[in-house]
Amino acid sequence: MRPMGDKGAHINVLLVEDNPGDVRLTQEAFRDADISIRVSVASDGVEAMAFLRNEGEHALAPRPDLILLDLNLPRMSGREVLASIKEDALLKTIPTVILTTSKAEADILNSYELRANSYLSKPVLLDAFYNLIKSINDFWLTKAQLPQQRPNQ
Amino acid sequence: MRHDLVPGSARPSEEEQGRESAAKYRGLLEAAPDAMVVVDQSGGIVLLNLQAEKQFGYHRDELVGQQVKNIIPEGFAERLIADDLRSDEDALAQQIGTGIELTGQRKDGSQFPIEIMLSPLESADGILVTAAIRDISVRKAAERHLTQMVAELNRSNEELGQFAYVASHDLQKPLRMVASYTQLLSRRYTGKLDSDADEFIAFAVDGASRMQLLIQDLLAYSRVGTKGEDPVATSSELALQQAVDDLRGAIEEAGAVVTHDRLPTVIAGEMQLGVQLFQNLVGNAIKYQASDTPRVHVSAAQDRSTRRWRFTVEDNGLGIEPQYFERIFGMFQRLHKRDEFAGTGIGLAVCKKIVERHGGHISVESPPGHGSTFHFDLAGSGVEA
Repeated sequence: MRPMGDKGAHINVLLVEDNPGDVRLTQEAFRDADISIRVSVASDGVEAMAFLRNEGEHALAPRPDLILLDLNLPRMSGREVLASIKEDALLKTIPTVILTTSKAEADILNSYELRANSYLSKPVLLDAFYNLIKSINDFWLTKAQLPQQRPNQ
Repeated sequence: MRHDLVPGSARPSEEEQGRESAAKYRGLLEAAPDAMVVVDQSGGIVLLNLQAEKQFGYHRDELVGQQVKNIIPEGFAERLIADDLRSDEDALAQQIGTGIELTGQRKDGSQFPIEIMLSPLESADGILVTAAIRDISVRKAAERHLTQMVAELNRSNEELGQFAYVASHDLQKPLRMVASYTQLLSRRYTGKLDSDADEFIAFAVDGASRMQLLIQDLLAYSRVGTKGEDPVATSSELALQQAVDDLRGAIEEAGAVVTHDRLPTVIAGEMQLGVQLFQNLVGNAIKYQASDTPRVHVSAAQDRSTRRWRFTVEDNGLGIEPQYFERIFGMFQRLHKRDEFAGTGIGLAVCKKIVERHGGHISVESPPGHGSTFHFDLAGSGVEA
């Protein structure tokens, strides 16, 4: 079973993003899409891994249903976080979506090589950004069937 | 030491004749504008003129009989000497008529750059070599200066391109925040404050959105320079097709008809040709329309002498007044008000930059009442269309 809550109660999203402006925008957009979604925030890669592994102050952190990961992060980059998640038997089944301003071909290729579940670039216009978050909610958190339990080791 | 000298291949039939030509030759030697030094094939100096005395700072008595290595330390004497691979004649023949850049050394030990030209001279003592020696200090200094200037210019151009790229790229992030939050203010508070607030927010939203477009275009423009593709053999017909596909929405909305002749394979960056060049030109032709059915026709003809392809994109649109023919290719230059036609005015600047990076030229003509016709040229691939 999940450590906290279940699908019926809350959907949990972990947003790994260092820019407070982007954090707030994403939270606003999720609120607009589905007010019941809980968006937790890690502002760098190290904090993201601590959150996912329930270390330190994150001992009671919920296992997220979806991870939204920026690539350019302080301390531990999004690429390193992605690689760590996908190499971790307990974490690798959590859909991890790259959400970044970069449209660089190299970043896209590299992310999929590291087994990102999809790669999205942040649109510049607010309406387009709201639509993108709505699409994420529609697909990953509503339509997609996700594993309900941690994988057996 | 005395030598009888006869220029060229004319052989002395009589001694007297020989002496006469030797005197003429000396006269010629002294009159020459360059320093002249005559050496034998072992590198010994036989004769020299006044210019040579001046240039090297010796009196001629000090040099006659000396080795030429004293005034040209390297690269001259060695060239004259036969080795295992060459006979005397071959050694000399290889050097005739070519300008060789070497270093000269004056009596005081100072050195200066020289260029020497060699020619053979038959004499009673065998083949001699006449060396015309020119001091090229000034030319060398000018060359060095020019090379430095070019390197500096290239560096500064590169820096400028890099600067525009970095500036536009890095400005995007904070601007995205300004634009997003003013849009969020508008979305959430329009009609909830007062009419002044609504107006202020609307101006802020508009300004931020416009700046985003400008910065995106600036980025696109600077990418032509910093992220340019390598030109390869590219079908211009497929490139045009790609542009037309990308413009399908606009073409259908305008009810436009885009036609073309058979188009050649050219040497160009694929994306730049299709996505940027044709898309901008065809897009403009449709956008600045005058009739109910905007028509755009693309054709190409090969220049017989340069083998370059000259493309023509003609439309039946609004046309352009002659005084704006140059200006429309400048950055952010617009001929219309924002409420007439949207856009930042970067499109043709991007086209110009792309064409010029391909060694071509872009221009426009617009006879009154007959729309606009754009011309640009690209190198052919050698494969005919």
